[in-house]
Amino acid sequence: MRTTIVIGAGLSGLMGALALAEAGLRPLVLAKGQGATHWTAGTVDIWGGDERSPREALQEIGALHPHHPYALIGAHAVEEAIVRFRALTEAARYPYVGGLDRNILLPTSAGALRPAALLPVTMAAGDVRLGGTMLIAGFRELRDFYPPFIAANLAAQGMAARGVYLTIPPAFRRREYNPVTFARLFDNPAFCSDIGRQLRAQRGDATRIGLPAVLGLRDPTGVVAHLQDESGAQIFEIPTLPPSVPGMRLFALFQNAIEQAGGRVQIGSEVICGDGRDRLLTTVWSEAAARRQEHRVERALLATGGVAGGGIRTDHMGMVRETALDLPVRAPANRAAWFAPRFLDPQGHAIYTAGVATDAHLRPIGTDGAVVYDNVTVAGALLAGTDTVRERSRSGVSLATGWAAGRILAEWMA
Amino acid sequence: MRTLTTDVLVIGGGATGAGALRDLSLRGIRSALVEKGDLTHGTTGRYHGLLHSGGRYVVKDPQSAEECARENEILRKIMPHCIEETGGLFVVTPADDESYAERFIAACRRTGVWVEEIPVREALRREPLLNPRIQRAFAVRDGAADSFLATHANADDARRHGAQVMTYHRVTRLERVGDRIVGALCEDLRSGETVRIHAGFIINATGAWAGKIAAMAGLRINVVPGKGTMIAMNHRIVNTVVNRCKMPSDGDIIVPIHTVAVLGTTDIPVPDPDVYDITPEEVRLILEEGECLIPGVSRMRALRAWAGVRPLYKDQDAGNDRDIPRTYKLLDHETRDGVSGMVSIVGGKWTTYRLMAEHTVNLVAQRLGVTTPCRTADLTIEPSHDGAAAAPRAPARSQFAILASPFYMLGHRLAEVEADDSYGDLICECELVTRAHLEAAIRSDGTANLDDLRRDTRLGMGPCQGGFCTYRAAAIWHELRDGATHTVGAPPATALLRHFLQERWKGVTPTLWGDQLRQERLDELNYLETLAVDRLPEATLDAIEQPRDVVIEEVV
Repeated sequence: MRTTIVIGAGLSGLMGALALAEAGLRPLVLAKGQGATHWTAGTVDIWGGDERSPREALQEIGALHPHHPYALIGAHAVEEAIVRFRALTEAARYPYVGGLDRNILLPTSAGALRPAALLPVTMAAGDVRLGGTMLIAGFRELRDFYPPFIAANLAAQGMAARGVYLTIPPAFRRREYNPVTFARLFDNPAFCSDIGRQLRAQRGDATRIGLPAVLGLRDPTGVVAHLQDESGAQIFEIPTLPPSVPGMRLFALFQNAIEQAGGRVQIGSEVICGDGRDRLLTTVWSEAAARRQEHRVERALLATGGVAGGGIRTDHMGMVRETALDLPVRAPANRAAWFAPRFLDPQGHAIYTAGVATDAHLRPIGTDGAVVYDNVTVAGALLAGTDTVRERSRSGVSLATGWAAGRILAEWMA
Repeated sequence: MRTLTTDVLVIGGGATGAGALRDLSLRGIRSALVEKGDLTHGTTGRYHGLLHSGGRYVVKDPQSAEECARENEILRKIMPHCIEETGGLFVVTPADDESYAERFIAACRRTGVWVEEIPVREALRREPLLNPRIQRAFAVRDGAADSFLATHANADDARRHGAQVMTYHRVTRLERVGDRIVGALCEDLRSGETVRIHAGFIINATGAWAGKIAAMAGLRINVVPGKGTMIAMNHRIVNTVVNRCKMPSDGDIIVPIHTVAVLGTTDIPVPDPDVYDITPEEVRLILEEGECLIPGVSRMRALRAWAGVRPLYKDQDAGNDRDIPRTYKLLDHETRDGVSGMVSIVGGKWTTYRLMAEHTVNLVAQRLGVTTPCRTADLTIEPSHDGAAAAPRAPARSQFAILASPFYMLGHRLAEVEADDSYGDLICECELVTRAHLEAAIRSDGTANLDDLRRDTRLGMGPCQGGFCTYRAAAIWHELRDGATHTVGAPPATALLRHFLQERWKGVTPTLWGDQLRQERLDELNYLETLAVDRLPEATLDAIEQPRDVVIEEVV
């Protein structure tokens, strides 16, 4: 049986799989491991690279960067993807708020202010425009969240903020903690009640309280409501270093939606090569711990990520490869040109713009501009020509191109 | 201006300077040490960590070989907690001249370097990744040394005997009265304050920088800084020091040290010990040469590259700079230049630092009329307990057989973490640095930035190169330190965080490809996307508890 294959389980692969599943194509998602959702903040950053609003940036990008993924699919396709994404999150009772008109500035775990277009409602009270005094509260046991440091940096930017540590009730103590173990603690109402009482006692004149983004895996909006009731202040989450609990929530929500629509997500299967003829990909092989598996392909969506995700791989001789299907890659020619001298250089490092070039239908093309496979679309960080971390557009590009690539592939006539 | 009077001022906080300070203090001579950065900030902190058996120099430089062989045994005895008993191998690869092996053996016999030929089969059993086509293998007494720990141990022992250690103090002038040097002016790089040090005698132990110091007194020392580049691989691909059995040249040695293995090295003369970089060609050369010893090594994961500068002393017309003897040279400026009150010690190896210190202090003691003999070869240095150094703590020692070993072992920290059940307190998971280690290091005197913490604890030196622990360390620094110094404006810890990320970046860029590039991109996601540290306000400069004029070049 020929099948619809999605390669990669990050935001772009999941969004693409959802589009395919809803079109009745029962996609099989093959991924080496958990996707990039588990590493990142869990917001949707459409454009934060300059002072423009996301909407302005989308409208103007084609003139300056005609090969940018946003330019390829068009602003309308981005909006369509956002509408679908918001409907998905609302149906799962984990709604995302915000939009394209302006970026909302949210505190980070370093006390910096980070622009995001869409954010889960559990982060909404972090919006700096809300004013008032903030209390930042965390736990000494959580190594990835330091309230005094966060509060000091917020204060340095003119926001009234104070940092405190809370105490884990004895009944809930563990030997070892990370964001996920905390999220499971917050799934327990008794734990929440105790933390809520501590927050009320510590609150002082604060009108809103920032906590690490670990407020439950099962029902985070319920946890926020519960803590608000107990503490008497507005509660908001601040993303932590990986593993990202908001990212895990997103993954779970997508997995449910895809499987309910007839698709399947298979983690632990790395696609290592493919084969085809007459501009059609016909077969891919995946490798798991036990064996190599052959998959006959009717259509495929490639969303394996860039350098971080593992879709692009480099070596010490300066070679840059696409790892799953060995597609042509657009990359800086010389290893000497890969990096800027400063780590935080606003221009970024050239190697991270490496990726697969596509036509307007997101089909992979070679250096001559000719399409490599008609039945393959490419989405997400694997796309060439942009450093989405510097643009602060990474999840936006993934979401929008994932949806577009899925829709295009669904409409393709075999 | 502060003033200070001492019998002997040691300039330079590397192995030799700290060794000299300990020697002086054990002889009851009042002494102080100044260092422009942190201890081990220069060459000592940037070498591959080899405790030489002497084998490397038996043919070319027999005097150095003899010195290394003797000192090797002494250091094992006096500072076992700083040395790992890895053993060493010299192997003849298919690329090497077979006739060298006989010369090597004969020279080992002549110089007293312990050597034993072992069957190739046995060498491959010990080191399974070794080139299966090697033709002969010789075992020697090479080892791996923790030069950070050892230097701190010497300095701490000297302090216990009354010496003073002043880090982040840069000598700006030597004070000369007629033909006698009588002291130095230093700048405290943290406060900006000038300190005048009156000294009966000065020991210039600044290695590659010895010419710069001597020039302040109008003296000329011809030091040729020899840059050596090294690459750390992300795990111990060997557990034994492995050398090519040939004349020393580029990229012919692998040293296992703690959690990594170091491929080395190059030897390129540089005009200024403060200005050099690492080229992609050097990195490629080292990896390609490494293929002769470990086939496939160039495809394994490299963590970072760094370079140190050898303090090579050139007193005659040596041709190639690799032909400059590796032995050391004590320069008595009184007999050499007619200027009294200062000696310079140059050349040498980390392995011979104690001998160099002994030789130097013998001369100084004689000039000062002190007759107490040197005891540094006999007195064991007790592990430091105050710093955050890797030394095992006494109570844990009795509980674990592994800790009964007098030698430093890779598993010490793991055993400690297991004993305390402190997994939840790991701040740097790669190098097993706990919150307790880190807090002790932050609180210890003289610690000025996160890079100092790295030298104290190995924070940020593992596979993720600070991807997680930089944030944690900066925030803990803020809680322990900024509260006292910081009232308004951005926390100084923010500036330290960005400084450390940049220092790591410099070290990793020469080896960024494959998995390490992937790791670096994840670090970018953490620091730019999730934390947005690029958008944090800058601390004002005078609020930063950080040296202002020290440019830190490459880092280990």
